[in-house]
Amino acid sequence: MGLLEAHGLSKRFGGLQALYKVDLRVEEREIVGLIGPNGAGKTTLLRLLLGIHRPDEGRVVFKGQEITHLPTWERVELGLAATFQNPRPLRRLPVIANVLVAAYGPRGGRKGDWVKRAEARALDALEFVGIADKAKEPASVLSQGELKRLEIARALATEPELLILDEPFAGLTPVETELLAKSLARLRKGGRFGRLHSEGCAMVIIEHKLSELFKIADRVVVLNFGEVLAEGTPEAIAQDPRVMEAYLGEGAYA
Amino acid sequence: MTSPLRIWSLPWALRYLKHEVLALPGRTAALLFVLFLLLFPLFSQDPYLLRVLTLTALFALYAASWDLLSGYTGQVSLGHAFFFGLAGYASAILGRELGLPPALTIPSGALLATLAGVLVGLPSLRLRGPYLSLVTLAFPIIATGLIFLFPRFTGGELGLSGLPRLGQSRLEEYYLVVGIFLLSVLFLWKLAGSRVGLFFHAIREDEVAVRMVGVNTVRYKLLAFAVSAFFAGLSGGLHAHYLRVAGPDSLSLFNSIQPVIWSVFGGIATIYGPVAGTFLLFPFLEALRVAEELRMLAFALLILLVMRFLPQGVVRGVLERLEEECPRCKVKNAFTRKACRACGVPLHLEAREVKP
Ligand SMILES: Nc1ncnc2c1ncn2[C@@H]1O[C@H](COP(=O)(O)OP(=O)(O)OP(=O)(O)O)[C@@H](O)[C@H]1O
Ligand SMILES: [Mg+2]
Repeated sequence: MGLLEAHGLSKRFGGLQALYKVDLRVEEREIVGLIGPNGAGKTTLLRLLLGIHRPDEGRVVFKGQEITHLPTWERVELGLAATFQNPRPLRRLPVIANVLVAAYGPRGGRKGDWVKRAEARALDALEFVGIADKAKEPASVLSQGELKRLEIARALATEPELLILDEPFAGLTPVETELLAKSLARLRKGGRFGRLHSEGCAMVIIEHKLSELFKIADRVVVLNFGEVLAEGTPEAIAQDPRVMEAYLGEGAYA
Repeated sequence: MTSPLRIWSLPWALRYLKHEVLALPGRTAALLFVLFLLLFPLFSQDPYLLRVLTLTALFALYAASWDLLSGYTGQVSLGHAFFFGLAGYASAILGRELGLPPALTIPSGALLATLAGVLVGLPSLRLRGPYLSLVTLAFPIIATGLIFLFPRFTGGELGLSGLPRLGQSRLEEYYLVVGIFLLSVLFLWKLAGSRVGLFFHAIREDEVAVRMVGVNTVRYKLLAFAVSAFFAGLSGGLHAHYLRVAGPDSLSLFNSIQPVIWSVFGGIATIYGPVAGTFLLFPFLEALRVAEELRMLAFALLILLVMRFLPQGVVRGVLERLEEECPRCKVKNAFTRKACRACGVPLHLEAREVKP
């Protein structure tokens, strides 16, 4: 049984079929790349998995438990976490408070001096994405790239077992992109990052920067017009003529 | 960071007073304010002044309760009079029917208001922003309708009068209300600064983002409604017994808008702002009572001026000018200091850099 299994997810917005019978399977510690042209339904799939939207049909199973109808926070408590494509910081709060909100959550446990541990974890999450020096500034002063990294720090502070990242490299410079890709690869293996995490975590990474993504992904799933178009290793996908065609219609192969 | 309070040790207390209280204008003002309230009757026991201060303290608690829900949590209530009035009526009716003393009926009324808070909070789980505010607006109107429908039970237009007094004398009532006011506001202030307060803040900023990191926003929103309604109800019950009448005025639109105005005047999402705002505005408006039209006009004019020149609130705006955050360690400093009191970094750098 995979860590996450989505079966036949469909979602309609008015007259638009955003997703149609999509299956997705993620194994433990696997990095799955999720790609597809603009409007293919990638973000919609993320929202269904996190419970921000409810699917019209289909089910989601996480760690063997059906979560299709659970509220978002209960999914997070089980070990699911995700970032927003457009960062949604708590603008008037300090950067560290943004992460504390996540670290204080129920996944940190409630034993002994859990408050201290949560606070340490929040700092380590900022450290991990490299914005610890901005901890006391209000989130509103961060640059776009820093906001993207704050999103990731917030998700990491919940110590997820499956992390879904919506275009984590967008808006980052090439150097920042490479650094982040390396960090993500380390994160998947597990280990200690300060007081953060140790088990290793699976990831679904939605990206348009394919060359960076293909370096770290184990498997790639291609969405097009709300349906799974192809699935396979990065090498196979890179040579798949159907994928080229879907993207060439957009002229966006990067 | 902050060491535990050791107020029983006099040298420690004096040092704390000097370095942590008197070093900051805001805390000094808060200390003077508390001392003023506690010592005022030593200087004057003029019944009119005591009455104004008692009512001000009641309404300041009411405004602070509004701030916790609307300022902090972002669930803007335009029907707060529902909790205020409901608790007053509940206390009056419980006293009349069961013959219980105010010491029991006022807390019962506040608890009923708490339940009502959860009830009003339920729509907030689906509705956002102005839509929610409109729903909150409806509750006191519905309650007023019910009161006129059952005049035998509620006293109709005249309300229920002749409620038992809070205390034997004006002075006793003053200290009772001021005591409850100070303790309640201290509680609200501590709550707002706690972990729970952080969740309230966060929900106001972006509720979906907060859910996404595993926070049960339903629980915290209902908690904010419940706590806010409890203290609104507490002030409403005290108010009814202080004036010895629970009437439909307590449910009026005007009474719903009052805490909003005081809070906006003082500065929302601060707790101290609404309190200070009420203490600055209420006595002033009370003095204008001689000319009712002038009073409303002054009210409106004042609000326009505040929104124009200090949109973050008068008290908060002034305080932000008197206290300066250290750019490095973020500790607050009095504006007169040249270097940070915690880390020694020079303040007012910009001012110096401008010079050639
Ligand atoms: N809340 C919504 N209401 C109506 N339509 C929506 C909504 N969310 C998404 N859509 C539509 O569903 C389709 C899929 O959108 P989605 O955001 O999932 O695409 P995407 O693959 O993430 O694209 P991109 O690469 O541009 O982020 C789009 O046509 C979009 O306009
Ligand atoms: Mg998208």
